[in-house]
Amino acid sequence: MKIKRIGKPKVIIPTASMADIAFLLIIFFMLTTVFRKERGQKIILPSAKSTERILKRKHLSYIWLTKDGKIFVMDQRVSQKRISYDFRLRVLEDPNLIVMLMFDKNVKYLYVDSILEALREARALRVTFSTEFKGGG
Amino acid sequence: MPFNFRKRKIEEPEIPTASMADIAFLLIIFFMLTTIFSRAKGLKMVLPEKSTEIVKIKSENMMRISINPEGKIFIDDAIIETPIYEIKNIVRERIKENPKLIVLIKTNISAPYNRMIEVYDEVLQGGADKVALQSIKGE
Repeated sequence: MKIKRIGKPKVIIPTASMADIAFLLIIFFMLTTVFRKERGQKIILPSAKSTERILKRKHLSYIWLTKDGKIFVMDQRVSQKRISYDFRLRVLEDPNLIVMLMFDKNVKYLYVDSILEALREARALRVTFSTEFKGGG
Repeated sequence: MPFNFRKRKIEEPEIPTASMADIAFLLIIFFMLTTIFSRAKGLKMVLPEKSTEIVKIKSENMMRISINPEGKIFIDDAIIETPIYEIKNIVRERIKENPKLIVLIKTNISAPYNRMIEVYDEVLQGGADKVALQSIKGE
């Protein structure tokens, strides 16, 4: 009796669609990427349960306030007077501007108050106190 | 002279796609390294405009929460300190009684910013939508 020899099946990993998968991932990253504009300062944000996500990232502008009361805008140290002037121009450029207040949780309220006053003078009235999500009931 | 009539094989045109995935993955790595996922989050607020006009608010429509330099909290004219976790319930009840209620958070300039955020968080959890901030200068 002649026994027909069964040929070993070739093991193939289909790679044709690999590129498609990769390009899909690229599209995802391209859409979610926001290039870093500033490096920021070392601060500890306060946490709050009512923290909301801000979706209109395009209109965001940041003010950093460190523990010792130093104010930074776009990685440069600025004075309170400068904020008034600077943000007045920014509001003219973008009337929907939202100012993100990146304030250290241990800073004295005095500094916070002076920045808020400066923003009111600049008519940059939409602000967000940056906080972390607080867990628990 | 013998002619060679053998048909020449036509080569099939081909686009090499084997390296396509490599290129795509390289691009992915680039985007992965440059991406920072949005961390824009916080407590929203609209500041009042600076005007010379003084807006008068009836005292019954106003709830005052004061924070002293040590971070202790007092509601209206109370002498006894209110624990932070009770603010939420007090605000909720006061709003139920009077939907026009405006909550004013008065923070001493020497108090830590964290305390003001904690109070604002509680007030928001209590369902208040009209919140104002004020600072207290001096002791």
